[in-house]
Amino acid sequence: MIKKTEKTKSGSVLVVGGGIAGIQSSLDLAESGFKVYLLEETPAIGGTMAQLDKTFPTNDCAMCVISPKLVGAGRHLNIDLITNSELVSVSGEAGNFMVKVKKNPRYIDSEKCTGCGACVEACPVSNIIQCVEEPYVRLSDGDLQKVRFILDKYIGVKGNLMPILQQINKTFNYLPSDVLRYVSIELGVGLSEIYNIASFYNSFSLTPRGRHTIKVCMGTTCYVKGGERLLDKVKDEFGIDNGETSEDMRFTIESVACLGCCGLAPAIMVNDEVYGKVKVSNIMKILEKYK
Amino acid sequence: MKNINERDLPVQWMNWISKREIMTRITDIDAFEKMSGKLQKQKDPNRKSVCVCGGSACIATGSLGLIDLFEKEFKAHGIEDEVDILVTGCHGFCEKGPLVVIRPEGIFYPMVKKEDVPGIVKETVIDGKVIESLLYVDPMTNEKIVYEHDVPFYKKQKRLVLGQNGLIDPMVITDYITVGGYKAFASVLASMTSDEVIDLIIDSGLKGRGGGGFPTGIKWKLCKNAKGKIKNIVCNADEGDPGAYMDRSILEGNPHSVIEGMLIGGFAITASVGYIYVRTEYPLAIERLKKAIEQAKEFGLIGDDILGTGFSFDIEIREGSGAFVCGEETSLMHSIEGLSPEPSQRPPFPVESGLWGNPTNINNVETWAVVPLIISNGSKYFSDIGTENSKGTKIFSLVGKINNSGLVEVPMGISLGEIINGIGGGIPDGKSFKAVQTGGPSGGCIPASLMDIPVDYEKLAEVGSIMGSGGMVVMDEDTCVIDIAKYFLSFTNDESCGKCASCRDGSKAMLDILTRISEGHGKPKDIDLLVELGEAVKDASQCGLGQTLSNPVLSTIKYFRDEYNAHIVDKKCPAHVCKALVTYSINSEECIGCGVCLKNCSVGAITGSLKAAHSIDTGKCTKCGVCREVCKFNAVIVE
Ligand SMILES: Cc1cc2nc3c(=O)[nH]c(=O)nc-3n(C[C@H](O)[C@H](O)[C@H](O)COP(=O)(O)O)c2cc1C
Ligand code: FES
Repeated sequence: MIKKTEKTKSGSVLVVGGGIAGIQSSLDLAESGFKVYLLEETPAIGGTMAQLDKTFPTNDCAMCVISPKLVGAGRHLNIDLITNSELVSVSGEAGNFMVKVKKNPRYIDSEKCTGCGACVEACPVSNIIQCVEEPYVRLSDGDLQKVRFILDKYIGVKGNLMPILQQINKTFNYLPSDVLRYVSIELGVGLSEIYNIASFYNSFSLTPRGRHTIKVCMGTTCYVKGGERLLDKVKDEFGIDNGETSEDMRFTIESVACLGCCGLAPAIMVNDEVYGKVKVSNIMKILEKYK
Repeated sequence: MKNINERDLPVQWMNWISKREIMTRITDIDAFEKMSGKLQKQKDPNRKSVCVCGGSACIATGSLGLIDLFEKEFKAHGIEDEVDILVTGCHGFCEKGPLVVIRPEGIFYPMVKKEDVPGIVKETVIDGKVIESLLYVDPMTNEKIVYEHDVPFYKKQKRLVLGQNGLIDPMVITDYITVGGYKAFASVLASMTSDEVIDLIIDSGLKGRGGGGFPTGIKWKLCKNAKGKIKNIVCNADEGDPGAYMDRSILEGNPHSVIEGMLIGGFAITASVGYIYVRTEYPLAIERLKKAIEQAKEFGLIGDDILGTGFSFDIEIREGSGAFVCGEETSLMHSIEGLSPEPSQRPPFPVESGLWGNPTNINNVETWAVVPLIISNGSKYFSDIGTENSKGTKIFSLVGKINNSGLVEVPMGISLGEIINGIGGGIPDGKSFKAVQTGGPSGGCIPASLMDIPVDYEKLAEVGSIMGSGGMVVMDEDTCVIDIAKYFLSFTNDESCGKCASCRDGSKAMLDILTRISEGHGKPKDIDLLVELGEAVKDASQCGLGQTLSNPVLSTIKYFRDEYNAHIVDKKCPAHVCKALVTYSINSEECIGCGVCLKNCSVGAITGSLKAAHSIDTGKCTKCGVCREVCKFNAVIVE
């Protein structure tokens, strides 16, 4: 039980973690008259719930539940949001703690920022990978074996990073972040360097991919002969955008620069098979046999 | 290509295994020449063979299925010992695939279907008769053509590099040796010094086929004389230019010619390792290269102490992963080293400090494949062909709105018109010819009025385009040049590595302006702004990608300013391509009310009842163009 030492009670509370639980606690505390500091590691509060569509078991709309609370926490006079920050140390005793907080730079004056988002649109660099470091590598034994098998072939070889990534991409059909972290540790190559390369090439994917990959050729000839319409058709049909995967994990759609089958334009390649002279009216028939 | 190889195996392996008995490691030059002579003598020029194209495009149209059928038919007629089946690489005429050629006569059947096979075996192979209905019909004259060498598409070409593609099985090294392969390499080892080889290449006037057009012999000399103990050579097979696939065809159809070229280059430069950097989009090429290297190693043509001469050379394959900049030489080397593949400042040039700081000589696939030809036939043979400063032949991939699309190899200096009308057979559907785009995203558009210019490095540069790696995309009146410029810019914008601000942001800014124009919001000043931006990007970028990315825009502005004005001032797209500037409607006189368009419209914009003219609701229409594609009566009009 908390010992009450009336004299030293500070009257303020630090809540660590700005997910739905942290937000609700902060609101409740603030309503009861405490001064609340809400500490969050990422640049914004909301946590996982803000990324969900529905909540279990009532199928309530997640955003509808959380957004009033987000606004509430942001506006409440008794709550101070400390985002993009980490807790470094805690000392003292119940009722009167001293905490040390490390605030990471944002390079934006948060007093003045209205959150309009115009800077995001104007920024020419668009492929920044936000990978939150996790402290350990979680790999099942089977996966670990697969990775070891690849690594053992190449360790010590000059210029081995590309072939390793290619093999991992082939084995797992994408580059899982845990595997990359493992590779980084094993090779002694910085994770940022690995991500730099992994995000550079078109044929690497950082998200899981479907069982089949539809590559729609966007080479000059295919483009001139209507390849873009094929791309639009498959995008429409599966309701996903270029580079995305359908929900049932059946297809991933990609556009590629040139398949080198220009004599057969417009062409598509499903997995490793090329189809030439494809039409909007028969493309779905071709895809039927890929389950 | 997993499934392809499994199906490849029966035929391929039988061939290979039967010829394998003589495959022992050869340890001196005499033994090689004896074997080569024996193979050439053994070959019976009158032996019957059925040659099926196994290039990527023909496989996509079903050529592998034909092979099994031919086998079966041969067995049924009991002639499997008298007639060979030859699975070759690309013949170049991919549009008409799958191609079958009956030798020794050279009877040519395009677009062969499975049903045709029994007839071909019975009538042509056994009885020697020609099947009229399967013959190729020339679209210009409507004449039927019997023999391969009479087809106009082939007749006007000069096929030095591609010539062997139709004669040999790329998976069988002895096939290549039978047509004189590796002889050039053996003669280099036997009787030439590395300086003599380099001088021969310099004399031949060979220039790089990868885009830059730098004299190959001089590059070799620089690399040989550079300081450094270990020297590397690289074969650039990262063919990234959209619309070009000659490197693919060489690798798939005749991988040994590239290997032989690299061996000769390795000897001349005194290098010890060669890397072949292939893009992963070419799985079949990688497979065949691997097999070719494996066979050459078994033969003792790659490895330590080759043919007992003390020269050692190894070749490794490295796969790219789909990034266009990796074709740029410094970027390619970074990619092989496993670093972030951004181009770096030159100098130092790769010939001074390349892979891991060692002098490195990079050449394109086609360049390497030409080398053995020059060595065996002498430099004069090569330098007699072509124009003053551009020698030899060049392979172009002639594609787009053209009757005969495919790979064409022509002597330098031939006119553009001759390629397009003489070899390509003109524009289909009676449309008129508008322009040809050469050199991929770094090149420009050349209008119909300049059709008489000779094709060589200098002339193309003069008119604002480049030779590049040899892409040639033909456009007819239905192609909008702004759309094409936009297409290339969005490609380069996407592929820019982002290192130079001028390239990264400049391409974006230009793309925005072009998009604005194509959507009908262009401003009169936009054209001048584009030119200014284009010049700035050219000057300020570090690598070839940025330095050339404005070419498609600048050249279209130069030759098609009217079309830009039509978009900006009249808000019209003369070619009816730019979606925002056209409307779809149905001509009620032509429409018979079949209802096909109605069924195919995905947004339900078409209404009408059966047997009555339909109409399009322009409010709902997304201008996808499906209705126009499915209409058999040309009743859908775009304005
Ligand atoms: C953006 C860019 C892409 C390139 N892509 C290729 C390519 O796909 N294939 C190639 O052989 N050369 C390509 N090059 C040219 C190479 O940098 C280099 O000049 C060439 O490989 C040299 O070989 P060569 O002397 O035989 O032409 C590219 C250059 C640039 C700037
Ligand atoms: S693939 Fe057969 S002709 Fe090109």
